[in-house]
Amino acid sequence: MVDVELRAKRDALEYLWRQGLSGRPLLRRHSQLIDDYLVGLFSNCPEAAEGMSLVALGGYGRGELFPYSDIDLLLLHAPGSEDRLGVVTEALFYPLWDAGLEVGHGVRTLDACLVDARQDFLFQVAMLDARFLAGSQPLCTAMQQAFHQELIAGHRREFLQNMMQHRNNRHQRYGMHSYQLEPHIKKSRGGFRDIQAMLWVSHALFNLRELQAIEEAGLISLQEKEAFSQAWDFLIKIRNRLHYLSGRKNDQVFFEYQEEMARAFKYSDTRGALGVERFMQDLYRHLQTVATTTDLFFEHVDETLGAPRANPVEQTIEPGITVRQDRLHLTDQALIEKRPYLLMRLFAHAGKTGLEIHHRSRKIVTANLHLVDDKIRHSKRMAKPFFDVLENAKDVLAVLSVMLDTGLLTAYIPEFAQIQALAQHDVYHVFTVDHHLLQTVAELKKLSLSKTPFAGVESPHVLALAALLHDIGKGHHEDHAQRGSVLVTGIAKRLGLTEAEAACLSFLVEKHLFLTVTALRRDLEDDAFIRQCAEQIQSQERLTMLYLLSIADAKATGPTAWTEWKSALLLEISLKIAHLLERKDTLLPDKSQGADWMLAQVRTLMSKATPVDYKILPEEYLLSFPPAEVAHHLRLRAGLKNEKKAITESADHGLFWSVLIMAHDSTGLLAKICGTLALHGLNVVSAQIFTWEDGTAVDVLNVRPAAAQTYAEQNWQALGEDLNLALKNRLGLSHRLVDKFRAAFRGTGQKNVQAAPRVVIDNMASEQFTIIEVFANDRPGLLYDITRTLADFELNIHRARISSDGDQVVDVFYTMDSFATKINSPSFQEEITKALLHIAGNEAGTGARVQW
Amino acid sequence: MKKIEAIIKPFKLDEVKDALNDMGIKGMTISEVKGYGRQKGHKEIYRGAEYIVDFIPKVKIEIIVETAMVDAVVTKIRETANTGKIGDGKIFVLPVEEVIRVRTGETGNEAI
Repeated sequence: MVDVELRAKRDALEYLWRQGLSGRPLLRRHSQLIDDYLVGLFSNCPEAAEGMSLVALGGYGRGELFPYSDIDLLLLHAPGSEDRLGVVTEALFYPLWDAGLEVGHGVRTLDACLVDARQDFLFQVAMLDARFLAGSQPLCTAMQQAFHQELIAGHRREFLQNMMQHRNNRHQRYGMHSYQLEPHIKKSRGGFRDIQAMLWVSHALFNLRELQAIEEAGLISLQEKEAFSQAWDFLIKIRNRLHYLSGRKNDQVFFEYQEEMARAFKYSDTRGALGVERFMQDLYRHLQTVATTTDLFFEHVDETLGAPRANPVEQTIEPGITVRQDRLHLTDQALIEKRPYLLMRLFAHAGKTGLEIHHRSRKIVTANLHLVDDKIRHSKRMAKPFFDVLENAKDVLAVLSVMLDTGLLTAYIPEFAQIQALAQHDVYHVFTVDHHLLQTVAELKKLSLSKTPFAGVESPHVLALAALLHDIGKGHHEDHAQRGSVLVTGIAKRLGLTEAEAACLSFLVEKHLFLTVTALRRDLEDDAFIRQCAEQIQSQERLTMLYLLSIADAKATGPTAWTEWKSALLLEISLKIAHLLERKDTLLPDKSQGADWMLAQVRTLMSKATPVDYKILPEEYLLSFPPAEVAHHLRLRAGLKNEKKAITESADHGLFWSVLIMAHDSTGLLAKICGTLALHGLNVVSAQIFTWEDGTAVDVLNVRPAAAQTYAEQNWQALGEDLNLALKNRLGLSHRLVDKFRAAFRGTGQKNVQAAPRVVIDNMASEQFTIIEVFANDRPGLLYDITRTLADFELNIHRARISSDGDQVVDVFYTMDSFATKINSPSFQEEITKALLHIAGNEAGTGARVQW
Repeated sequence: MKKIEAIIKPFKLDEVKDALNDMGIKGMTISEVKGYGRQKGHKEIYRGAEYIVDFIPKVKIEIIVETAMVDAVVTKIRETANTGKIGDGKIFVLPVEEVIRVRTGETGNEAI
């Protein structure tokens, strides 16, 4: 059996490979081995002697035979020799099949070759690499000459267009997610097919057959050639091993092979990066080198040879930058040296116009990177166009990708070099870190155009920068978010961010996983935990930014990282935190436990001796206080006898004091309470107001002293007495308030520019209550007047938040009408609004401006 | 053999997984599911706009165990996934006719 010999030889080759033979020598050895074998077969077949020629095509034709690559053969025969073909093909091809080789074979006459090559571009390209093996040399030469005359000469432009078309289609197909994680080193962008495409075009169009010749002809630069050769050699070694490892023709670096490959190429784990990640980083870098070089090559050749473009008029956008034939050009080397920020301005223009940067100008950018020194990195003139790209570029991903490819991004932000082409060895992160970051910026941009509950960021440039830098700390052993948050502080400073913006950037980078992780791993019904989250995030603005960043980050990670399922959880936690940040009055017990559970707790705290009717306690009230406090209120209720007397209790909470007031409910009770507190120099910060079914009012008001005095110095007893007087209608609150503040502030009389008062009635934000917001310029007696007005309309106030924002106070009341429903009638709403505006606009007393 | 399907709150997954591992259960299928039961979807109102959450995200765990282990496994899941609040989930126990390991062709308890 003849194939035994072939098998043995191939086994011997694998043995040599294990001994260290790799790269091009292995390919040549393999081709030689097959050559010798086929020549032997051919010469042993007498029927093949005449009018036949055995030709190697494709990769085999080039003498680059990978361990399990197809062996493409053409049996060329003269017309009239058909009757001998059967014997010859059997003798030639059967042994190869028996040896387990993949053979691509064709049996054709010269004319049939030309017809097929015309129809099938891939065959045409394979014919370019035709190499005579055995048989009639003149026949083979005739075929090659005819091929060049008929198909290449005079069809150069067509050949180029076909090649570029195929290349683009292939990039699209192999650019999908699955090929990011597991690159196909033959067909992915930057793979062998791209190398070949460049060589084929050089060969067919310019008769340049070697990389050296292509460089000498000026189609690529010397530096490009060197990086390209290195990349090519690297890829050859990888592909050899991949074939042996898979035991078949496999050109995709599957996940399960990656670790073994990394070990074989002596990549070991270092602090922070796995060997396999460093190996993949090198692989991605080399693929990128091939991709960039061939991109520039094709653009160059297309320009030289392709159809003339529209718009031949040259238009100068700014000194040193012009648009010619729909491409942006850098035109003045001297000016670039004087103003290196022109390099960044070029990209800003690319972003704004959507035009591509001419390949020669991209090379100019790369050649001038040494100009981007520390001074330029601190320059505002550099930062401005950079932020312009981040915020305004039409296709931000395309512009940033070119910025990364040319090296400008890394030159400007050197921290970026650490994560360039960095792979993460898991099936979750399909992009390398640098591309993931660019994708995140692009996803963020898409989000800003879609409808989300969280939108309207005040400093979009900080958010966009956070998207670009959030993983900048990767590739080290420590927590990447933590490390990143430190790194970005330096970057923020160089880019001229204000201190507040820098702090925000650092916060976003540090916490970029917080919402996602929390949404998945924590109990979202744990109110205390949600409160902690709100404390960490601090503001609505930051929450909105984090929310948008979390989604953009997940969407840019891979197809599995963002699902509707996760989006529901993320929305839930974000809304819960938002509600808390919006109203600071939610220091509530655990709501989900329910009112019944609360009541049971209260019962255990009450002594059996006192009979209590628990039915009088409203659910909302029960859910607003801890059980012990409810029990305390119930006990105090027993002491509440006289219709016109209130129980007043105060407590010190450090940042604020609280006053509990229990009394029989009557119209204007809250107004009287507010008036009395003011008279005693206490500012109301927030209030919880409840009425039990038996008519007992339980009001808890959080207050702060207007003057600097301690809790002990405050005369609480006098406060209680005055309140009782007020309840008996024996205290003229209105005139006393005016007197008090006139005395205190007589003569100052200064006035600031004041905003117009505003009243907002909102039935949407709460399911149960109508929320009335009053924005007014502060003056003595304001809260007293407002609450008295609301009492006149018989509105029940259930909760209130009182805050001051500079000179303006914002008072928020959660109200229901006397039928315990929302205020729905538009005319009634209007009446309330008018009454409140009247009060808010009314200048009481002397006009002295006092916080009361 | 029985199949146990447990629908639990997402944040309880790690705990339940660890608890089952400790019991010697090494294999399970986990999926992200959405649904609603007595814990109906709800309406969120934020800055004037309504967001309807009609299905609530949950995690589904599927495991096949010998019949003798069913009670212990169910009890363990119940204990671990319990928060005492509405929406803690449900556990289903279903009969399984046969289990076959694809690689070896083993069947029955051997294949679990």
